[in-house]
Amino acid sequence: MRRWSFQYYLLISPALLLSAMIVLVPGLLTLLVAFTDWNGVSFDLNWVGVANFHKIFDDRIFWNALGNNIRWTLLFLTIPVAIGLLTAMLLLKRRRTKTLYQLIYLGPYVLAPVTNAILWLNIVLNPASGLLRQIRPYIPRDSLLAPLRSPLSPDVALFTVAAVDIWHYWGFLTVVYLAALRQTPQELVEAAMVEGANALQLFRHIYLPTILPTVLLMFVLITIFSFLTFEYVYIMTNGGTGSEMLSTYAYNQAFHKFQYGRAVATGLVMSAFGLLASFFYVWMSRREIRA
Amino acid sequence: MFRRTFFVSVMLFLLVSISLAPAAAQERTQIEFWMWGAQPHLQDVIRAVLVDTYNESQDQFELVMTFRNDVDSVIASVLPAGGGPDLVYGSGPAFVIPFAQAGHLANMEPYSEMYGWRDRIIAPIYQSGTVGGDLYALPNSLNTMGVFYNKVLFEENGWEIPTTFEELEAIMDDALSQGLYASVTGNKGWRPVNENYTQMFLNHWAGPQVVYDAITGAIPWTDAAIAEAIQKSADWFQADYLAGEDYFNLNFLDAVSLLSSNQSPFFFGPSIVFQFATDFYNEENGNLDELGFFPLPSKEGLPSPMYILGTAATLSINAYSPPEVQDAVASIIDRIMTQEFLVGMAQGGWPGYWGVPISQMDINLDDFTGLSRGFLGVIQETVSAVNAGNFGYAPDAFFPPATQATLIEVDAVWVGDLSVEDFLASVQAAYDEDQAAGLVITPPSPGG
Repeated sequence: MRRWSFQYYLLISPALLLSAMIVLVPGLLTLLVAFTDWNGVSFDLNWVGVANFHKIFDDRIFWNALGNNIRWTLLFLTIPVAIGLLTAMLLLKRRRTKTLYQLIYLGPYVLAPVTNAILWLNIVLNPASGLLRQIRPYIPRDSLLAPLRSPLSPDVALFTVAAVDIWHYWGFLTVVYLAALRQTPQELVEAAMVEGANALQLFRHIYLPTILPTVLLMFVLITIFSFLTFEYVYIMTNGGTGSEMLSTYAYNQAFHKFQYGRAVATGLVMSAFGLLASFFYVWMSRREIRA
Repeated sequence: MFRRTFFVSVMLFLLVSISLAPAAAQERTQIEFWMWGAQPHLQDVIRAVLVDTYNESQDQFELVMTFRNDVDSVIASVLPAGGGPDLVYGSGPAFVIPFAQAGHLANMEPYSEMYGWRDRIIAPIYQSGTVGGDLYALPNSLNTMGVFYNKVLFEENGWEIPTTFEELEAIMDDALSQGLYASVTGNKGWRPVNENYTQMFLNHWAGPQVVYDAITGAIPWTDAAIAEAIQKSADWFQADYLAGEDYFNLNFLDAVSLLSSNQSPFFFGPSIVFQFATDFYNEENGNLDELGFFPLPSKEGLPSPMYILGTAATLSINAYSPPEVQDAVASIIDRIMTQEFLVGMAQGGWPGYWGVPISQMDINLDDFTGLSRGFLGVIQETVSAVNAGNFGYAPDAFFPPATQATLIEVDAVWVGDLSVEDFLASVQAAYDEDQAAGLVITPPSPGG
């Protein structure tokens, strides 16, 4: 038995070594850099303990960014999930056009973020030549819709960027939820319909329990991605006042201020939230297995 | 039979191609030069004026240019790893200094002596690329903040070129009352645009002596004169003078588009904006003479006209390139640092970005028309003002990196999220860190 174990270890060792080299070693080095004053350029670095964490926790921009990341997460845990579930349920009964709709919905998702962002910036949001120029005269400055007049101003920029990212993302959720919904045993659905269940009851008591593991998994992934989000924010606003995220905050520290140690410390905080979501998912999964 | 013949032919073609390709490549050593993703028609200009002429001038090296929008962050990643282009583009001396200090850039002092750059380049600009007295970067272009104006609107409204802040504000108020933008500009997609407006007020409202004292640490960044200048910039923003509700939703291209369509009298911007103007002011549109430029007025008691001394980018030599390649890169930089190149780029169709900072120019503006004439005129006036000592300090040329990056966050003050005092306290904290890291350089003193 022991001989076989050795052979197993031998067989997995290349993959293990590769994983260690590209995941473990950079991960540990990253962890170490967070406790140094490395500027990312020279090999001259000093151990500064937790000073980088003190600095970022003392910085109001960090707390603004963290607040924005939390807002972003809440937006993504609700709006695209609701749209995705609704459209998936609507597509479930469509036999012929189901595939076509999925392809259409996936369109924005398969386009590069920079393409989507530039399309929105130039065609819709551009006050010189975009759709905004046409509709702005009809939006009074003192109305509730006034923020739409300047969609990238700091008070609404976060929501505008989130809207564009949600536009690109919800189609993917639709496809994932639809795939999960199709796994629902048909006999359960038919039995419920025979019992007179309406659409809401059907969803609540038949479909939702079936797709719950998928919904939970997507919740965790959305949370992780929300704390890592970067492309749309960086391309559309560069972060900054109103839409600074932890990722753009870290980027600015690394590439503009040459404070890599502090950027890495920020990155660790971002990872901590993702880790928290992962723990939650593992805990839920184990609970489900026990049940 | 046909399929077999076709297959053999394709294989033969591939074999011949593969065997010939290395032979062709071996003939010349490639010199890599990366820069930001300029518009395609501008890329054609530099290929014609620099790349093709250099490659035709000798048969040992081949200059290859790559245009990429993420050039700053890519260079910051690959240079410390011993890679990157041979001719290193940097977005200003402040960006380059840490790389020079870390030994990733070659000391250009021997080349400076060989080619006489120290005498040829404007002294304060030359100095901005030195670290510890040695040259590590040469700015490719002068870049000064000023005011682009719409001559059509000026004529229609009977406006005169303003010489004081009061006159300038009066025209902007008049424009706003007509439903026009007071000025067009914005930081969409490039937040560092904010620093254009901090440098305007720091130099033209607080004054170059105050800026010099702050850079050198003689006064704190929380000084009352600096606070007043930042407050003035916030007043302008809140009065809708900086593109009103569209500041965060316009980039330079959008802004020039609006200026050319008579929707604003002004565009406060750096002289590199001439390169964006080529899309809207051209012979096809018949409006080449409708764009004007004048230096920003100064507060009473400060030098006027004064030109802020800034740079568009810097050119350096990769320390890890082979010595013979470094020599070749130096010769290419020497080609760029000439009046011939400056004129060639402006006339070729890329004015704005290659205002080579040579101290002695022999240009007759009457030989030029349109945007080339306008741009070369600005460069000439800037050089004259600098030689006379009337210059201010641009952050990308003279401020240390964290201080410069923190000043970009001024928009938090403009929108009322942060007080001037708290903002300047954060600038001072960044400056202290720069100073501790040895990143503060002593700029040329005001007045030369």
